[in-house]
Amino acid sequence: MTMNMMLNAGEAVASETKVQPIVRLKGIAKYFPGVVANQDVDFDLLPGEIHALLGENGAGKSTLMNMLTGIYRPDMGEIVIDGSAVSFASPVEAIAAGIGMVHQHFKLVKAFTVAENIHLGWKETPRRIARDLLEARTAELAASLNLAVAPGARVSDLSTGEQQRVEILRVLSRKARVLILDEPTAVLTPAEAAELFKALRQFAARGNAVIFISHKLDEVLEISDRVTVLRGGRKVTTMPTGECDKRMLARLMVGQEVVLSNMRERRPDAKPVSPQPVLSLRDASARDDLGNMALKRVSLELRAGEILGIAGVAGNGQKELSQVLTGIRALASGQVEICGKDLSRAGAEEFAAFGVGHIPEDRLQSGLAPALSVTDNVVIREYGKAPLSKGWVYRPSAATSLARSIAEAASVRVPDFGMPVRNLSGGNQQRLVARREMRIAANVLVAAYPCRGLDVGAINAMMRYFIELRDAGVGVLFVSEELEELLKLSDRIAVMFHGEVMGVVNTSEVDIETIGLMMGGQRRGPAGATAEN
Amino acid sequence: MAIRIQRVPSESLAGGVAARLVAIVLALVVAAIVFAFTGADLGKLGSHVLKSTFGSRFGLMDLGLIMTPLTLTGLAVMIALKVGAWNIGAEGQFCAGAFAATAVALFVPGPNVVVLPLMFVAGALGGMIWILIPTLARAYADVSELITTLLLNFVGVLLIYYVATGPWLDPSGVSFASTARLPHDVPSFWGDVHWGLPLAILLTIAVAAVLNFTRWGYEVRIAGSNPNAARYAAIPFRRHLIVVMLMSGAIAGLAGMLEAAGTAHRLQGGISNNFGYIGIMVAVLARGSAIGVIAGAALMAIILKSGISLQTQGVNISTVLAITGLILFFTALADELSHYRIVRTKEA
Ligand SMILES: Nc1ncnc2c1ncn2[C@@H]1O[C@H](COP(=O)(O)OP(=O)(O)OP(=O)(O)O)[C@@H](O)[C@H]1O
Ligand SMILES: [Mg+2]
Repeated sequence: MTMNMMLNAGEAVASETKVQPIVRLKGIAKYFPGVVANQDVDFDLLPGEIHALLGENGAGKSTLMNMLTGIYRPDMGEIVIDGSAVSFASPVEAIAAGIGMVHQHFKLVKAFTVAENIHLGWKETPRRIARDLLEARTAELAASLNLAVAPGARVSDLSTGEQQRVEILRVLSRKARVLILDEPTAVLTPAEAAELFKALRQFAARGNAVIFISHKLDEVLEISDRVTVLRGGRKVTTMPTGECDKRMLARLMVGQEVVLSNMRERRPDAKPVSPQPVLSLRDASARDDLGNMALKRVSLELRAGEILGIAGVAGNGQKELSQVLTGIRALASGQVEICGKDLSRAGAEEFAAFGVGHIPEDRLQSGLAPALSVTDNVVIREYGKAPLSKGWVYRPSAATSLARSIAEAASVRVPDFGMPVRNLSGGNQQRLVARREMRIAANVLVAAYPCRGLDVGAINAMMRYFIELRDAGVGVLFVSEELEELLKLSDRIAVMFHGEVMGVVNTSEVDIETIGLMMGGQRRGPAGATAEN
Repeated sequence: MAIRIQRVPSESLAGGVAARLVAIVLALVVAAIVFAFTGADLGKLGSHVLKSTFGSRFGLMDLGLIMTPLTLTGLAVMIALKVGAWNIGAEGQFCAGAFAATAVALFVPGPNVVVLPLMFVAGALGGMIWILIPTLARAYADVSELITTLLLNFVGVLLIYYVATGPWLDPSGVSFASTARLPHDVPSFWGDVHWGLPLAILLTIAVAAVLNFTRWGYEVRIAGSNPNAARYAAIPFRRHLIVVMLMSGAIAGLAGMLEAAGTAHRLQGGISNNFGYIGIMVAVLARGSAIGVIAGAALMAIILKSGISLQTQGVNISTVLAITGLILFFTALADELSHYRIVRTKEA
């Protein structure tokens, strides 16, 4: 049945001229001071299709969608819904016209239940809001839309994937015909992503349409019917997904060929891997924020000049691991050593002083102060050192020039270093954080999901940074859920499952299947590369 | 050509000033219209207000006297906001400062040069002690300072009423509701206007310099904006929170000391005169800028002083308050609007 519908969707796409698009954008432009975020963008969205929107970081994808959902107003051009021009003054008007968006950073009220969140700010919410009534309505909606949610659960207790389903249900319950998802899978486990795709297909098959923003080209090829590529705020092309492949999409986005080289190769002048570990973790256990044991007796060693990959489905203790290794989370038991020095009881300050850089997984929550200026944020690791500070004196002008050079190295264009950092595109924030951390990583860099939200070109650049560091004799701990990235980059891979390390393997001696099995909880005995434990 | 309105992330200085001026004029126009309906003689009222506020030596002196505590309470609220705390309790800390300074003045014998500095210290300490418990409760138990600081205001105000009409009542019998005239004064430099005014302004500028040009100021900014980021960068959030909140209390306490020893020369009930609450408005108008605190305090002083002269003309107090509210409302509006600009675009 779903397959049939899918075919219909395909036909609809094929006979473009006959079908009236649900959404048509004509000549859209949006300017921010010093930035052309969008210019001359034409875009059609047909009923029944899943339309992917691609582009480099800062290409203007989020901005374009923010105009379609009434958050921004276009400076030029026209938005046409079902054949008539509209002008949305707010997201409320957009949703009334059937256009809803799920943002990358969810906007749910954490202390409320699922049912309460669904009914919040909705004109169809019944006047008498008895708890069981709301929950029954929510259950009914969820069933009719085929989205599994627990109406009575508190949002703060849900996994990221479940929260996203609540967001989607919230949008769909308001009878949205167009669902916009901004990098929805960046935070999902593969199983959750598969679940999401199923729901999207069913939604589109009912004659609705989906706009899907993602940097993961495999996913785009799998889920979408058509692809539109933006570059520098302008539309490059729109084409049926069937006619695309990964390399071509990457080229369209970046404007040049993207070469993915084997990165495990070392330069001849690279520093050798040290015999002594720069970082070692022995029998380390730590609790998560809710007090559950999230890291269970983990032992790992990282040598100078190597990249150690940490594989595993997100949420299996990786966050706590990276926090323990950077002094942000206290150990419940066990030991951490950096360069032979016991830092088990040390705080973030000592770790930074010992040359440990940290790219955190939740950059907006802990890596940045979103409301403060770009400069303030970029210098957060070096504000206390010369030339930014002399004694207790801080020099804002020196800070701005350092910020300027870091932004340049990260190839991020910043129109105004005094503007709040949250005005930068998601990927550009990530690039700045990464560059900032690499500068202090004299011995170790702990990078948690550094490539999340980055475009292909930027992922490549990020990996090259890591190789630079590795060849300069820094130990890099690289946490990722993308096996391809891990295999391309790491010398060894440790696999985590339920807070434990299932084994550490040499990348050259392992295949994807083995790692997949370990991610599912199968232990690899110390016969492998874990001998040093 | 089409004309569009665009939001800009940061306002220009000129734009901000212009928008606020327009706001004040608009508020006055609205107020004038209301007055016209009540049949008042606008010209007479207006010229009276202008004359009694700007047109006379005494008017200007009054402005200076009102501006002094407002600058300090505004600064106190503003600096707490920098570290992410709402100090709603400047009123209570003001009272505590006035109380402590008075205690020193009344009960510590000695020459001016010794006792006056002691009074400064006592005023600041009084304010600090008044905010100590809210500070510790926030820092260690995450109790909202909003409520605790507010509640202590009532205690502070009542404490002053109690001592001024009870144990410390003027023994000479001249006054029924205040202490005796304090034996030590903050010296004046122009009529009644005492050195507290330049001191308040200098302190504000000093705080601005510290916030912008010291490492400590940078750390406070980060800590106040995102405690998680502070933790990540090894910036001691809790320590900064405690220090800054105590500073905030000390500044408000100093305002109380100056009011008692410079302006009122006695401790009397109602000495705080809502200065602590109006300081919140000053800080909000200032939008985190110290120079803005000085301007905001000046603006509020003019509004209050005009209100007083309107009252002497028989305009009742609720009308005066309504006009005050209007001006604030329009200024807040202007503040938001100055973040927009009009652009002309060529239609494609
Ligand atoms: N509110 C704003 N103020 C100023 N500039 C902005 C604002 N919002 C976006 N921009 C700028 O507009 C450009 C496009 O940003 P946008 O967020 O649309 O990019 P994106 O394609 O979503 O990128 P990413 O993949 O990194 O999320 C960027 O240069 C960004 O800095
Ligand atoms: Mg984006």
